[in-house]
Amino acid sequence: MLNRLNTLSFPRLLPAAFALALFGLTGCATLPERSQPRLTGDPIIDGNTLRAAAPVQDRVLWDYRIAASALRAGQLDEAKLRLDTALPLIGGILANDADAKKARSLFSAESTKTFIGEPYERVMAYYYRGLLYWRDGQPDNARACYRSAQLIDSDAETAEYKSDYVLLDYLDGLVSAKLAADGSDAFARAQATAKNLKLPAYDPAANVLIFAEYGTGPRKYGGGEYSEQLKFFVKNSAAHGATLNVNGQSVNLPAYDDLNFQATTRGGRVMDYILGGKAVFKRTTNTVGDVALIGSIIAANNGSRDGDRAAVALGAIGLIGKIASAATTPRADIRMWDNLPQRLSFAALRLAPGDYPATLEFQDATGQTLRGLTQTLTLHVDPLGRDTVIFLSELKR
Amino acid sequence: MNTSLRLLLLTSVAAPALFLAGCATGVETPSGVPVTEMKADERGFVAGTGVESQDLVTVTDKMARGVLAIPEIANAKQTPRIVLEPVVNETRFPISKDIFLTRIRTQLNEKAMGRVRFLDREMMKTLERERDLKRNGQVTASADPSVVEFRGADYFLTGKLQGLTTKTSKGTSDYILYSFRLTDARTSEIIWESSSEIKKQGLEDAAYR
Repeated sequence: MLNRLNTLSFPRLLPAAFALALFGLTGCATLPERSQPRLTGDPIIDGNTLRAAAPVQDRVLWDYRIAASALRAGQLDEAKLRLDTALPLIGGILANDADAKKARSLFSAESTKTFIGEPYERVMAYYYRGLLYWRDGQPDNARACYRSAQLIDSDAETAEYKSDYVLLDYLDGLVSAKLAADGSDAFARAQATAKNLKLPAYDPAANVLIFAEYGTGPRKYGGGEYSEQLKFFVKNSAAHGATLNVNGQSVNLPAYDDLNFQATTRGGRVMDYILGGKAVFKRTTNTVGDVALIGSIIAANNGSRDGDRAAVALGAIGLIGKIASAATTPRADIRMWDNLPQRLSFAALRLAPGDYPATLEFQDATGQTLRGLTQTLTLHVDPLGRDTVIFLSELKR
Repeated sequence: MNTSLRLLLLTSVAAPALFLAGCATGVETPSGVPVTEMKADERGFVAGTGVESQDLVTVTDKMARGVLAIPEIANAKQTPRIVLEPVVNETRFPISKDIFLTRIRTQLNEKAMGRVRFLDREMMKTLERERDLKRNGQVTASADPSVVEFRGADYFLTGKLQGLTTKTSKGTSDYILYSFRLTDARTSEIIWESSSEIKKQGLEDAAYR
């Protein structure tokens, strides 16, 4: 056999080697294609369908998306179910995780890890669950959510941006005030973060809590030569403020927090260094492959016996280099919670139990009402003794 | 050419193998992970730094033993009646608050052999409705329904969970103080109080940092 191979020339062997390599690569594309789920147009039904069809690593992503849609559709039990499925995972310590290990390896993309989202996404999961706890008469569990959320944001690279959500501290203090505890520290932190925006003083007797959101949140994309850099596309949404008109009152709902700002002020991740290393490896092996293959061609054209040997050796090095480069996947994970708002607001007021017709208006940066966005609704205020939590969103899905 | 050929052959085999090693992304743990039955006080492989079942078991066992040992309960001439009040959660972990008191109650009911009784205030609305039906003659009664028989509490048992959290680049550390107390309903004296503290720490995989 070896004698037979010895009689073959290099130009014949090199394509054979490539062919063999390609044959090996075909093994990577053996997963059967899944049939496309049938969609209905209902974001909750479709979300659940897609969640069921999604890889296990993407379940939390779908939980997030469905929860937000369910909140906006008033399907609060569904929102709770989805958030309660996601929170134990994002609230735990993900260590010794095989998917995470694979995501760090050279030849797997970051998106092979179990999705839990970037800090602003995890914060929002807690934020939404908090308002649902509050609605269920468990303000202390709501406060626990706000505290966990603020902790998630505590490892931003720059001190100025650590734990800098205004509402998380403000609501933490409001719960304490309502539970006859001291919320002044949390209020002071919230006011310091809000800077020039003066926060309303706590009214522990306020029984109607308005959580409002508007604008569309950040989008992720991959930057850099190999999309190895996680970047955010942020667009300043038209709605900069909102006003709720109810029972003769005009309730101001200014933007206390901005998710675009939060997403883009985190600084680098540890994973960014790993992806950067992968990108360097990919570039280097690709360059080595190019140089070796060019050298191989030059050596092959030399015509001498030594030239043939050198051509084969360089060809082999070039082949390995090119394949290793092609196999290295430094691409950043850009799976995203794509139905988040941009701006968050809150107001607390007193209303007697009953139903109230109301209008919700949104204003642009100059304070002008955005006509097409006005919503008419009815607020139902629960009997006194428990807080009524109202969730208002500009977003439909 | 012999050496070169071997090198080429080796490359042809090694290169796809190298590639395949990096693209084995199909199905994770194809055989699945069999269900493992664990004791409630065991730490599972899915863990966090918050309140977990093993903490619940440790804390409620200690509290149940503590309540039974106090003289007001152990030496009471009449069986003391206790009402459970919801636990206050001041930690950063949302919890099912009733589960602590439910386990303390069941532990006490199992171990106290009738030395304490719990009043079911959760059922009050249902009980009042039933009493009214009896008073109105809509259902039968085995005793005079006009006599008030709902018992008042001798003691209130409640608890509080408080926490301290530290998060640095080295990891996250959570300390939780579980404190429970028994308050005399007549005098407002705290006749018993006990606490349990648990600290946990961990560091997430770099892929999540």
